[in-house]
Amino acid sequence: MESQARSVRITYPINHQKTFLVTGGTGFLGSHLAVRLLAYGHRVFLLARGRKGDSAVARVRRLLDWFDVDDGTRSMLEVLEGEMAQPLLGLNEGDVQAVIGRVDEIVHCASDTSFSARKRDHVVRTNIEGLQNLLEVVQEGRCRAFHLISTAYVAGMVSGVCREAFGDVEAFHNIYEETKFRAERIAADHCDQNGIVLYVHRPSIVYGDANSGRTLLFNALYYPIRTLNYFQRLYTRDIQENNGEKAQGMGVHMASDGTLYLPVRIESLDASGVNLVPVNHFVAAFMAIRKEKPEGGVFHIVNSRNTAIRQLVVYIRRFFQLSGIRIAEPDEFIKQPKNGLELLFENHIQVYGSYMRDSRVFENSRTAAILAGQDVVCPDFSYETFATCMRYAVDMDWGRRLYQEGDTGCAKKSLMDTKRSPHRKSAG
Amino acid sequence: MFSEQTRQMAAQCRHYAMCKIDYLGTGICASGMENHYVSHFPQGRMDIYDALARELIPITRGLAEIVDSCDLCGICDKQCHFVTGMRPLEVMKGLKQHLKEWIDQGNDIIPVESDPELDALREIVGWRWATNDPAVLVTYANDPFPLAEMRMPRYVALPGTRDEVAALVRFANARGIPYVVRGNGGSVFGFVFSDGLVMDMHRMKGIEIDAENWVVLVEPGVTSFELQQAVVKRGFRVNTAEPAATVCGNIVCTGLFSTWANAYGVNADSFVDMEFVDNKGDIFRLNAPAAPNAFCFEHKLTPAPGICIRAHVRLHPVTGDEEGWFVPFASFEEAAAFAREMSQRRIGLAIGVLGGHYLSTFMSPSAALADNVRFSLTEAIGLDYVVFMIGDRFAREAVNAMQEVVIDQDLFRMFMLGLPRLADDEWLDLVSGMDGDRPPYEILLQREMRPVLDAVLQPSPETAARQVDEDLREFYTKLYARPEMTDMVWLNMFRILSARMSRRKHMFAFLVYVPMDRVDVIEQICTALGRIADDYGIDNDYGFLTPLDMGKRGILEYDYYIDHQDPAEKEKIRKAAVVFEPFLDNLSATTKGVKWLKYIFSQGCARKEAFLYT
Repeated sequence: MESQARSVRITYPINHQKTFLVTGGTGFLGSHLAVRLLAYGHRVFLLARGRKGDSAVARVRRLLDWFDVDDGTRSMLEVLEGEMAQPLLGLNEGDVQAVIGRVDEIVHCASDTSFSARKRDHVVRTNIEGLQNLLEVVQEGRCRAFHLISTAYVAGMVSGVCREAFGDVEAFHNIYEETKFRAERIAADHCDQNGIVLYVHRPSIVYGDANSGRTLLFNALYYPIRTLNYFQRLYTRDIQENNGEKAQGMGVHMASDGTLYLPVRIESLDASGVNLVPVNHFVAAFMAIRKEKPEGGVFHIVNSRNTAIRQLVVYIRRFFQLSGIRIAEPDEFIKQPKNGLELLFENHIQVYGSYMRDSRVFENSRTAAILAGQDVVCPDFSYETFATCMRYAVDMDWGRRLYQEGDTGCAKKSLMDTKRSPHRKSAG
Repeated sequence: MFSEQTRQMAAQCRHYAMCKIDYLGTGICASGMENHYVSHFPQGRMDIYDALARELIPITRGLAEIVDSCDLCGICDKQCHFVTGMRPLEVMKGLKQHLKEWIDQGNDIIPVESDPELDALREIVGWRWATNDPAVLVTYANDPFPLAEMRMPRYVALPGTRDEVAALVRFANARGIPYVVRGNGGSVFGFVFSDGLVMDMHRMKGIEIDAENWVVLVEPGVTSFELQQAVVKRGFRVNTAEPAATVCGNIVCTGLFSTWANAYGVNADSFVDMEFVDNKGDIFRLNAPAAPNAFCFEHKLTPAPGICIRAHVRLHPVTGDEEGWFVPFASFEEAAAFAREMSQRRIGLAIGVLGGHYLSTFMSPSAALADNVRFSLTEAIGLDYVVFMIGDRFAREAVNAMQEVVIDQDLFRMFMLGLPRLADDEWLDLVSGMDGDRPPYEILLQREMRPVLDAVLQPSPETAARQVDEDLREFYTKLYARPEMTDMVWLNMFRILSARMSRRKHMFAFLVYVPMDRVDVIEQICTALGRIADDYGIDNDYGFLTPLDMGKRGILEYDYYIDHQDPAEKEKIRKAAVVFEPFLDNLSATTKGVKWLKYIFSQGCARKEAFLYT
């Protein structure tokens, strides 16, 4: 099964070589898809932006190191330094012409995944205006296929079956769902008017590689666990070095079984849990869909089984050697109000609650049929998978050691000077 | 041999005279307190080093005496580091080293001859208190105003009495010698230069409290810090300017404003009477029937009524239950509206709307930490603005009833003493990941979170001192162990943190009276000044907003930051002035309630009603 393999090591015979534009190229999904497309022998323009003093090229180079992409493959990649929110994507004239004249397919991954209403302007700017800017650039071009990376949660505030098709939605849980829904409509109208095949890929919650645990992003599933781990280390240090002065204030102590007792009650969520897909499955599904469905469509890339929060709590306790974390009934909080740690979790649960107690069922018959034909199966989120992912997360200090020497598993590559225009840069 | 690195540090002296007040309890430069001239304080020695290195002054007897009088005690290092991050002891050592080398090389120290004018000046103030020694003069040739060029006077005199001041004026008039007055040897608002005589009021430090009349009589060399110290001991408080600014000079020049102006007013609200020496050398009291009417206001640049020789400053009562707090907001509009409401409802004494920039700079003992803390407060926690307040327990209860989240004194102390950990990368990553419709501070600042914050921040004097140079850590640890260093009331009453605003670069402050019910106008001013600065590549930021007169008016500060030693930066300001001057002039002329401080300057005795409501 393809998704069982470590995706970044796979190489494929070069055939039907095409040129792709991948937006959000330095993001989690964008970078994984770009690397897979390169591995398939395609040429990739990667739209990326500089950040915190790092140029787009430097950021991409670091990513390619992380993916262990060889020099030959790197030569098939060109970085376009741009900004989705700007007209013409902030590209120079040469790059605009390259996109218009050479790009066969677009994979639009750039997205602001914030759920926060206070960030509404920014989310709209990226998810709506950014898409419109992209469509404006490619309108005159040769591009004939457009892959929009959306989300299964455009279904909005509904329960029960969510169809694998465009549909009407009355309300959303957050600005992210709303803007992704609107983006789908904008892309559909544009593609319809311009004879472009549209693929709308709707993954649920994507975590790291199920086999290696490798990931570039430590939000969503990872964030609350990271929070627990932060306080675990904080209080353990306090107990070891300061006689637990601060720990006592929070009722934290070392239990007799050697676990750290962290008093965190998580309010009972009597629903079916969270839908998780590993990134390797997402990438494999994307490639299978693209291969099998030349006519495009809407595709739910989801797990057939949700993971219950109760189950996740068990995993957390076991892996991190924590006690005290437990599911509690709502009336418990009336008798004993939430402590500070629980308030942090409450905030998280308020934000992600709709995904944790998800009663939505994502119909995926079309995608399932394609994946079955390609022998692509989404793995269950077992303890082993959880442990693999958490081990990697802890090793990488939740992303803080991600790009440090030694992690990438490959020697740093020198900058390649492949044939390129004065405006475009190889990230080799 | 001069070290260029040391010279550059010397040239970066902000001339804020903070080394002339004992604001950290370290004591003050002994040589300065004995000799009173600016030249004998660290500030003056910084100027002397720079001037010597640039061969602007010779090595005179006066210079040798100044250098010898420094005992390298290191107080200046602690004081200066606290506000600017600089370590001037290196300069003091450099001066001694240079003088020694000069003498060792067989060079002569140049005597400076007196002249008839100087002899006459010495007749008035005493031989010791007037000089024409270039080493002294050069320390009066600079000014905090970033656009001012160096200008050497011919004489400096330090009068000790009002009669001496009057005699100096009459003498200068008789000899045609131009003169200016520097309250504390410098002027924060600048442009106080003369080719002739500079009068430094540093010797006139009389403070006389008349408790029954709720007034304190203040001589012109008394700084705001010194006055507050004196009156606090007697259970009073005065409105307070920058700590090193002289009270008399500040009232006359700017009308004395601070966050306390919400309760104590500005301009003529600050005093009961003022005594002046006029430009003929005659003494008058402002309350005298025949005195010039300094209470009126004219919308034009106007000279001061004279040299203030004594101010009868109003005393204010203090209750034992006062404390400070911050009310956080995610937008300026909300914060300004809340500040106005507090003023309207007469809740609280001192009120000010502060941004993340001010807050982080005030709190942080180093510039680098301030940058990180600012990111932490604004980007990570979502706390873009706070309304700072001081009030009694009834005010506090009222605010608690109105606002869900308040940073009280205990929490503030926790932040101050745990500041380096507030900016810790790992913690910031965690806080930055807090998504949701409510800004993270609303969760983090809840009372239930305090044990968690206590564990995260590990607040202690040692933690707070972690960010400073290793050899200063012990000093800072002891400093932060003192309760007043984390007491919002004390810190705001003495304003010792405000000079940190110029830590990274010199500050060029715009002060504008504004209508508090027109947040749109206030935002328009900030936006326009920000845009102009951006256009010319000038660092800029919002300063503060304080409501006045029951929330009807307010005073807004917006700041530009420049390296005053960099000619290119000065040029930027000059070019920008062509745009911001007409903008503020026009707004002052056309929008009711808007008055640029430029027009109030030197009319600090005017009734506030004369310019706020006209």
